[in-house]
Amino acid sequence: MKGRPLLYTSYEADQAMLNTATKRVSAFLFVLVLVAIPLFKVGSIGAGDNPMGALPGPDFLAGNDWLRLLTSVLVFAIGGLGLNLLTGLAGQVSLGHAFFMGLGAYVAAVLGMPGGALWGLGLPIWIWLPMAGLIPALVGVLIAPTAVRVRGLYLAIVTLGLVFIGEYLWRNLDFITGGSQSGRSHPPFEFRLWKEEEPLISFAQDGTWFGIFNLSGAAKTYLFLLGITVLFVLFAKNIQRTRVGRAFMSIRDRDIASEIMGVDDFKYKTLAFAISSFFAGVAGALFASFVGGAIPETWSLFLSVQFIAIVLIGGAGTVSGTLMGAAFVGLSPRLIRDFTAWMQDIVQSGEGMFASIFDIVVSTGQADFGLINTAPGVAPGLGIDQLNLVIYGLLIIGFLIFEPLGLYGIWLRIRNYWKGWPFTY
Amino acid sequence: MKIKSKWLSIFLVLGLVLAACGGDGEGTTTTAGSGDETTTTEDMGDDPTTTEGEMMDIATDVGVDLEAGTITVGLLSDLSGGFAPLVTQIVAGQDAYWAEVNATGGINGLMVELETRDTGYQVPQHVQLFEELRDQVVAFGHSTGSPHTVEINDELREQGILAVPLTWYSGWSDPAINSNLVPHGVPYCIEAMNLIEYMVGLSGVDDPTIAIASIPGDYGLDASEGARLAAAALGLEVVYDGTGLVIPGDTTTYDEVAAAIAGADPDLVYYTGIPNGGWPEVYGRAIGAGLEALWSGAAPSWNPAYVAEGSAISAPITRDFVGSSYYEPWAGESAGVAHVREIMTAAGQPPSDYYSEGFVEATILHQALLAAYDNGDMTQAGVLAAAKSLTSVDFDGLAPTEVYTGEPNEIVQRVQWITRPDPTSETGTMIVEANYTSDIAAAYEFTGACYVLPEG
Repeated sequence: MKGRPLLYTSYEADQAMLNTATKRVSAFLFVLVLVAIPLFKVGSIGAGDNPMGALPGPDFLAGNDWLRLLTSVLVFAIGGLGLNLLTGLAGQVSLGHAFFMGLGAYVAAVLGMPGGALWGLGLPIWIWLPMAGLIPALVGVLIAPTAVRVRGLYLAIVTLGLVFIGEYLWRNLDFITGGSQSGRSHPPFEFRLWKEEEPLISFAQDGTWFGIFNLSGAAKTYLFLLGITVLFVLFAKNIQRTRVGRAFMSIRDRDIASEIMGVDDFKYKTLAFAISSFFAGVAGALFASFVGGAIPETWSLFLSVQFIAIVLIGGAGTVSGTLMGAAFVGLSPRLIRDFTAWMQDIVQSGEGMFASIFDIVVSTGQADFGLINTAPGVAPGLGIDQLNLVIYGLLIIGFLIFEPLGLYGIWLRIRNYWKGWPFTY
Repeated sequence: MKIKSKWLSIFLVLGLVLAACGGDGEGTTTTAGSGDETTTTEDMGDDPTTTEGEMMDIATDVGVDLEAGTITVGLLSDLSGGFAPLVTQIVAGQDAYWAEVNATGGINGLMVELETRDTGYQVPQHVQLFEELRDQVVAFGHSTGSPHTVEINDELREQGILAVPLTWYSGWSDPAINSNLVPHGVPYCIEAMNLIEYMVGLSGVDDPTIAIASIPGDYGLDASEGARLAAAALGLEVVYDGTGLVIPGDTTTYDEVAAAIAGADPDLVYYTGIPNGGWPEVYGRAIGAGLEALWSGAAPSWNPAYVAEGSAISAPITRDFVGSSYYEPWAGESAGVAHVREIMTAAGQPPSDYYSEGFVEATILHQALLAAYDNGDMTQAGVLAAAKSLTSVDFDGLAPTEVYTGEPNEIVQRVQWITRPDPTSETGTMIVEANYTSDIAAAYEFTGACYVLPEG
């Protein structure tokens, strides 16, 4: 069928995860580039005789600073995929994502950290990471009977309640969480068979892998989480393509109609909560371990809102949209700040035609008017964090009105435009 | 086949465009340092334009650019979280301090530039911003918050970089923890001893009783530990201990603790909390229930807004509260604070007690940078070594002299200022005792953190 990429002759081909050759090639190249990023750094290849080797590429991405940002995007993506299954695919609005993330993080901490003043069992990662997903999933199942009885705004309020119950628990269960404003350490990314002194593989310490790749701890953490993220992407994509995913979508589109068609409403809503909580729990455990520690205040409503933003800005119901949303929410604070700092530099140098335009936007000193400031409170203007909240809000409203498919929808339009180019029909 | 290859080429072109955009970003983001940590020696003596006659060999790695003549210092500041009202003024103090240093010749001709980052009092953000700055700055001019500073402490050690803690947890004076930190001011735990002994004298009651309360976290727990030690040393009966029971934001805990304090009817209350998360609420409810007592708490519990115009608790708190400061407040008489007033007024800033803290932090780093310059080693490790070998940092009366070499019991700070509220003053406080040390604080054997952070 060469030359007719949209003609499918079998159900398998039609339902394939990457149903065109272009998608297959581009997905492969995309993953390849992501894997290669830590190797852009000078000295990352050839630990022994040739320590200066590196793959050609933007080497700033391979520094600890940007690698950590990209790693946080991966964690956001895992959590976002979970919320996308629940909200985007099954249509159940949930503000309770932060609760399940916190639960996963503390399950991981209790199982993975050695005991002391705080509860801990010191078990290896192959136990604590799956359990960090399974126990929130179980709790999701327990909560589901309440949640499936309500819809829309009421469901949002039920799940909102979870966040506050969670915050109360995390503050008061200080033998587990370390208490308000103190927090506790979370287990590092190290693989042990059981409780040996030296880990078999460490994903957190600097060192050489396979005698060739001289990688920093941040690079190893990134690659480890990239692997996990790919697994979760495949998992999410597969759920979407199967009977379960279709049941979710039918419930989203009209739950009464789908029940009449024989879809067990209760069962599938419960399942959606369970799977979503599994994703959230794993994301929470990875997030806390990646940062190294978490305080109970981390798992607040703001975190849930960030995930809502990921799903809605990225494009509800689509896996690639969620990935775009995660990248957007993860990277935008940094990009906005760098851009603001750049504008401030231009204004301060006073050169070029942009200086006077940027002067209105940024605030450079105590008495200088401006909308944005890299040091809020010290000089007038919004801080980057405050600005980000404003931007999320505006984008969520904007996307819901003008482009319900989010960034994914914009990508579709670009794609379709070039598909027909130069004809614009 | 044709369609397929066109698709592929479009994708590749798009990919190239995206890659090119990424390349542009590089120029505007991480220019300094770029992670290269090799030590280079630059010889400014070869430069014919240099004003110094002698040859200078200064080793540098990150954050010091001898050719451009700049030193970059990082600030990890809470500009939008719970302590933002205080920290923005501390940062304003730092800004003004370094602006003056630069205007009068900098560090032997090198200009100090601040890279201020807003952590929002969030641990993940604090760690991320630390990662961003660690390969750009020669040292951290401050790091806000105890759990936040704990979380970057291992990386500070690994990299060999200095930070000035903007937190007064007693652990920062513990040599097991502070290898990369230069603490300043009285730790919360010793502060409690000073304040409680002062309150006992002020109350005029024989055998006064005390109630203790705090928020959770090392800030509240360290202060409460000090209050218990003080009560034991002075033989006070602790009639209520609500350590860690006030949860910021949880109003039911305010009611419970306030009712318990009022019910215990103490003569003294030592309650450590945060101004926008329960301190005034608990106080207001307890005095509403008829309690008459002297109140105090670690310095960050105080907020000038308590006695601002229109405050409902202005009159009672002026009567009840005994405050403290780790440095001389705005209204002080020393040459150091007169200098702060002069500079901040010239910068057009309103009166505030908190600029002094910015000046104190900056003075410590200033001394460390000068010493590192004299040693000819302005690498991150060189500045750290210079700071940890400072035998005396003098603040011209703005704060008690700090020492960074010697036994913890000898160098831990015990001297501070005692204040009372004063609605008529410019900053809401007046100084009642300068350079105060209580007998029990002077006698206290300091060997390490009063409140030990839980392992794990």
